[in-house]
Amino acid sequence: MYRLNLKIALRNLWRNKGFTLINLGGLAIGLASCMILLLYVAYEYGYDKQFTDYDKTYVLYNNQKTASETFSFMAFPGRLKDEIRDKVPGVAKVSRLSYAEQMLISYNHNNFKKNAVFSDPDFIKMFDYKVLNGNKNTMLNSVDGVVLTETLAKNLFGNEDPLNKTVKLDEKENLRVEGVIEDSPKNSTIQLDYIMSWKLYDKLNPWTKDSGWGNNYCMMFLQLQDNSFFDRANNVLKGTIKSHDKEANGEPFMHPLSKWHLYDKFENGKNVGGKIDQLRIFFLLAFCILLIACVNFMNLSTAKSEKRAREVGVRKAIGSSRSNLLGQFMFESILLTALSMLLAFVLIEVSLPYFNNLLGITLEVNYSDYKFWTVFLGLTLLTAFIAGSYPAFYLSSFDPVKVLKGFKISGGSTLSIRKFLVIFQFVFAACLIVCTAVIYQQLNYIKNKPIGYNRANLVQISTEGEFSKKEKREILKDELLKSGAITAATEYSLSLTSGGNNTYGVNWPGKNEKDKILVNFRFTNLDLTKTTGMEILQGRDFSKDFVDTASVIVNEALVKVMGMKDPVGKMITWDQPLRIIGVLKDYVMESPYQKAAPLLIAQNTNRASTIIMRLNDKSNITSSINKINEEIKKLNPSYPTEIRFVDDNFERKFRDEKLLGTLSNWFGGFAIFISCLGLLGLALFMAEQRKKEISIRKVLGASTANILTLLNKDFIKLVAIANLIAFPLAYIIINKWLSGYEYRISISVLPFIVAISLSVIIAILTVSVQSVKVAKANPVDALKYE
Amino acid sequence: MIQLNNIEKYYANKGVKNYVLRLVTTTIKQGEFVSIMGPSGAGKSTLLNIIGMLEEPTYGTYEFLGENVTSLNERKRIELYRNHIGFVFQAYHLIDEMTVYENIEAPLLYKKIGSSERASRIADLLDRFNIVAKKDLFPNQLSGGQQQLVGIARALAAQPSIILADEPTGNLQSAQAEEIMELFKKLNQEDGITIIQVTHSEKNAQYGNRILHIADGVVKEDINVA
Repeated sequence: MYRLNLKIALRNLWRNKGFTLINLGGLAIGLASCMILLLYVAYEYGYDKQFTDYDKTYVLYNNQKTASETFSFMAFPGRLKDEIRDKVPGVAKVSRLSYAEQMLISYNHNNFKKNAVFSDPDFIKMFDYKVLNGNKNTMLNSVDGVVLTETLAKNLFGNEDPLNKTVKLDEKENLRVEGVIEDSPKNSTIQLDYIMSWKLYDKLNPWTKDSGWGNNYCMMFLQLQDNSFFDRANNVLKGTIKSHDKEANGEPFMHPLSKWHLYDKFENGKNVGGKIDQLRIFFLLAFCILLIACVNFMNLSTAKSEKRAREVGVRKAIGSSRSNLLGQFMFESILLTALSMLLAFVLIEVSLPYFNNLLGITLEVNYSDYKFWTVFLGLTLLTAFIAGSYPAFYLSSFDPVKVLKGFKISGGSTLSIRKFLVIFQFVFAACLIVCTAVIYQQLNYIKNKPIGYNRANLVQISTEGEFSKKEKREILKDELLKSGAITAATEYSLSLTSGGNNTYGVNWPGKNEKDKILVNFRFTNLDLTKTTGMEILQGRDFSKDFVDTASVIVNEALVKVMGMKDPVGKMITWDQPLRIIGVLKDYVMESPYQKAAPLLIAQNTNRASTIIMRLNDKSNITSSINKINEEIKKLNPSYPTEIRFVDDNFERKFRDEKLLGTLSNWFGGFAIFISCLGLLGLALFMAEQRKKEISIRKVLGASTANILTLLNKDFIKLVAIANLIAFPLAYIIINKWLSGYEYRISISVLPFIVAISLSVIIAILTVSVQSVKVAKANPVDALKYE
Repeated sequence: MIQLNNIEKYYANKGVKNYVLRLVTTTIKQGEFVSIMGPSGAGKSTLLNIIGMLEEPTYGTYEFLGENVTSLNERKRIELYRNHIGFVFQAYHLIDEMTVYENIEAPLLYKKIGSSERASRIADLLDRFNIVAKKDLFPNQLSGGQQQLVGIARALAAQPSIILADEPTGNLQSAQAEEIMELFKKLNQEDGITIIQVTHSEKNAQYGNRILHIADGVVKEDINVA
């Protein structure tokens, strides 16, 4: 029986090649899209879960309460570690971790700037990286120990055995290689190339010795013996800092490592989601696309019903029960789905490299994983079932006498179901078009929003090695200015595009002593506005004509917070009294999506970490960059230089949104394409069914244009209805998405116009492929067989 | 074998009843070869459909093999199809995607007959109807007469006790039609299979041993043919 069913199913597919291709193609694209999105979701979901006891491992966050809100961040006083070890119940391991920083490591003449971290010995036990060489138990115990990742070890030592060799950190410290571990997995939040001991950190930063409980400078991780300790441990943790320093304002709490990546947004000390929201959208999208493909299948299968109905009638008359028929049709659906799945695999394997490149990640199909096969089989069966169930029930329900007595399926009801399915598909497609258009608009809006300075042709380099000396920086600046490669240069205490460096310690007349207000601070040298193009609204920039050691520039946001009128010339205090000499127009520091935060800028060349230079726009960029590179090599020979364009740094801030935009473009496109396949199938069917009617009309004198309007009208109506249903839906969805941004566009009618015109045009084109053929056919062909 | 009592069939349309059959009462015994005749729209096919349980009468009772089958659930009806009734259609209604062999095999599969028994029965039928050479062809590769032969072979495969044929020769040329009618006659006389056919042709009706004339839903004449 099954063999026969298989044979018949295959013959059926073969005989209706057009339908089969449309069906197969639609399902395959749907399945492939779904699988790729699921792979991406699984990749993101698998973040930080590679470690053995990841479920017992926690990253600590620090809640800092101010009058208006609570900030949560990952920074602690280093001495908290011993406190946790001694006082918190159930702690198995605890380790500090410094923020990853690019530092120079060298062996002989091999120099590399790689991600370096400092940690306690527990770190390497908590995060059980595979140790390829060396003894895990003694790693990071001694001051001069360093653990390298596989790639770095290869780069430094080639084929030599690295163990116990001496490498140099920043040209100063001699370190002994204690071991080699595997590279950090790509979907691990901590990305490091080598680890050094915390003892070294203390040695390199002597101020940590006397640093108090209010000074937060490292991350903290802990592992519990057992998760039953969680509540008790969290309770004790909360008071650890305050018990030592009543003035310190920190309350540590545990956040599961497994949630670190996806649940990274905190508001008022509570987790409010994060990247998981975007992931949920993708997850939903995956299934919606699959559903569209399923709807396609249903549509095409029921469209074929006229052909199949007779078969059903005959089978019933010769003794087939309804369940036999259900089985047969479900079997056909499973067969087709299985074939689509094979095709989908080809598509996945072909497109994955492209997506990986696009998203900057490594997705791959892990064929040896049972979980993959479970999902794979589950998805196939689910698809087959959803896609096949309606046709199977519908087709098997035919009354034999009706279909055998000259066929007249009650056109109304089946057609309306098919119409409903097409509407459903296009609702989804139109929603996607609207959302994609709005995402695109919003991205453009944010990108083109004035950021407060001119980021084109602006480059930055870090002050490392020789450049930590003021004089060398001056030489570099003078040489480059003289050569004409740059037109201006200044120094800054942080990268222009990064956040951080803030304090509660700024006071001004009229400030409520109890209010804790976070103010960002930066240090600069001369020519800040000249180099960056920032705008001074009142007062002046720092100048060599004045002694500005006790002067500050403040931004508009700070002026607003302070509630000052005519701030220029007024005094504020931050450890010492400072005179405001200028008001700077707000510029975008960390996030282009958020309103500007209060900022003050003081002049202090000793705190410079970045040299900002404006390239001469009259000369060629490449030659300017080459000149800068030459000059740097001359002055700072042992450090590999990296010239960073501010523009590129800035682009990186849009990564998430761009990703969302790209993915919704692609998969929205697929959804529309699949919907069109469905429409094509329906048109194919309609044309077949109305062949006779059209022939008669033509004999009666209808022109090709008349016929085309007649045939296309119905479809346009469907698509228009779909759009009308889609608009409020899309409005609600996109409004919700937009509300996540402080700066956002207002939703205009444009995306909706785009959606309706695009979908109507696509629909007309699709349907016309078929209807033109019918309209031009010779009426005799259709009429003579009647 | 078949007992029809006061069978009525009508379609209500806007309160007006359109009668297709009125008070049809008749008995058909095992081994009879009955032809139902009448003008177009007389209700011949409806009567046959009611006998074949493809339609339900609006009124009246119907006994098949002594059992009241006026309204039967699907499972029981399928049971009867599988074991007692074979259909032959005017338009043959072979399944296009199946070969001749598979078309004949289909009812046996539904009846869950073992494969060796199946093979021997089909071989027997193919042989008897002289279509062995055509067993791997598809219906659209056969002439109308050949298709109808396959249709009859299919109806016979399950070894039914009655064959219901709705204008079996309606689409055939006269030579082929004669061949089919001869076959029916032989089946009736040699195998004792009860046959009920609907036909327009007086000539075809003569092959049977009883004719029911129907006009406007009423049995006008019930003649035994010598």
